[in-house]
Amino acid sequence: MDTVKPKHDMQGLISRALRIGVTLACCIAAIGGIYYLWRHGGEPMPDYTQFVPNSARTEAADYTSLSGIVRGVMALQATEWIQLGVVVLILTPVVRVLLSLVEFSLERDWIYVGITAVVFLVILMNSLEGVA
Amino acid sequence: MTTTILIFTLILLVGAYLAGLLGSMTGLGGGVVVIPLLTLGFNVDFHYAIGAALVASIATSSGAASAYVREGITNVRLGMFLEIATTVGAVGGALIALWMPINAIAIIYGLVLILTAAMQYRRKVDHTGVVGSAAAHRLKLCSTYPVKGVGLVAYELTNVVWGFVVMIFAGILSGLLGIGSGVLKVLAMDCAMKVPFKVSTTTSNFMIGVTAAASAVVYIQRGYIEPGIACPVMIGVLGGALTGARLLKRMKVTVLRQIFAIAILLVAINMIYNGFTGKF
Repeated sequence: MDTVKPKHDMQGLISRALRIGVTLACCIAAIGGIYYLWRHGGEPMPDYTQFVPNSARTEAADYTSLSGIVRGVMALQATEWIQLGVVVLILTPVVRVLLSLVEFSLERDWIYVGITAVVFLVILMNSLEGVA
Repeated sequence: MTTTILIFTLILLVGAYLAGLLGSMTGLGGGVVVIPLLTLGFNVDFHYAIGAALVASIATSSGAASAYVREGITNVRLGMFLEIATTVGAVGGALIALWMPINAIAIIYGLVLILTAAMQYRRKVDHTGVVGSAAAHRLKLCSTYPVKGVGLVAYELTNVVWGFVVMIFAGILSGLLGIGSGVLKVLAMDCAMKVPFKVSTTTSNFMIGVTAAASAVVYIQRGYIEPGIACPVMIGVLGGALTGARLLKRMKVTVLRQIFAIAILLVAINMIYNGFTGKF
């Protein structure tokens, strides 16, 4: 049963990684959210009825770029802390794909190593293209 | 009286919790319910609603997938293979969203809802005696899943190419609307590939997070994801989905689903009407 056991460990690992990722993302967003409410809770709500594209803003909001989010998190900006939670949430399924890649490599299942690598590259390239 | 941020956040948190509860109990997913909640309930712009739906989709998918993977129901290979189709589709969908008028997107969303409502009335028949196609064997897609009281049941599947094609469309809709498009995913696996229903739904759920992640960075950069909305939606929907999953184990929800299908239909008509009259 040597071939079965590592696979089950891997499923446990994937399952745990997903749970940890989601929990972490929610905690970060909650911290940011509470801080946001503490600072701005009493202000009238922003106008969400009209979408303002980045191109139309005089100054793009920090939380729309990765570097901006990092800058805002360092400066303890509430909105960027929330967005950091969103980024962690987005990374959760990506980490899952990487773990699957490891799992298939351990099983020497090369077809699926290839398939998983393609999925990972599609996500990566789309994200990098966006960043550029 | 003007609504303060605090009031808005608290109401949205409760709304998102109910959306997550409903989404998980009806099998729709959190993202689909969040869009009408924001646009029709809170008069929020459709772009922000799509961004919030994306966040909700990833949260509920990853949260629920964690349990299903552990139980061994999810067909990880099948999901992985079809994710090629959904991620490529999602990238395409996010590109289409750039030039497509928002009212047209609202109409498409309405049509997806109608399909969803129709699916709630379909009888779920588990395929028996399916002979796996050559492609399915070559890709090692045939597997087993646990059935209560029986143990592990083996199954085979067929029509891999068709399933793949439908998955590309499911991906496009995900990229366009931020939703998981679980209905199309289940349609591809259950109807085309003849995968057992329980495996279809859990594998679909497993795939939603990855599909959504493919277009997520683009969403952030376009400013679709607004922190003030994303935060209560993410926490509320996830909380609701967890409660829903717990309730599901103790309740029969067939009737709830069919009643809810009528509500979905009404929302769909509302969306399509508003889209045609250019309200968004």
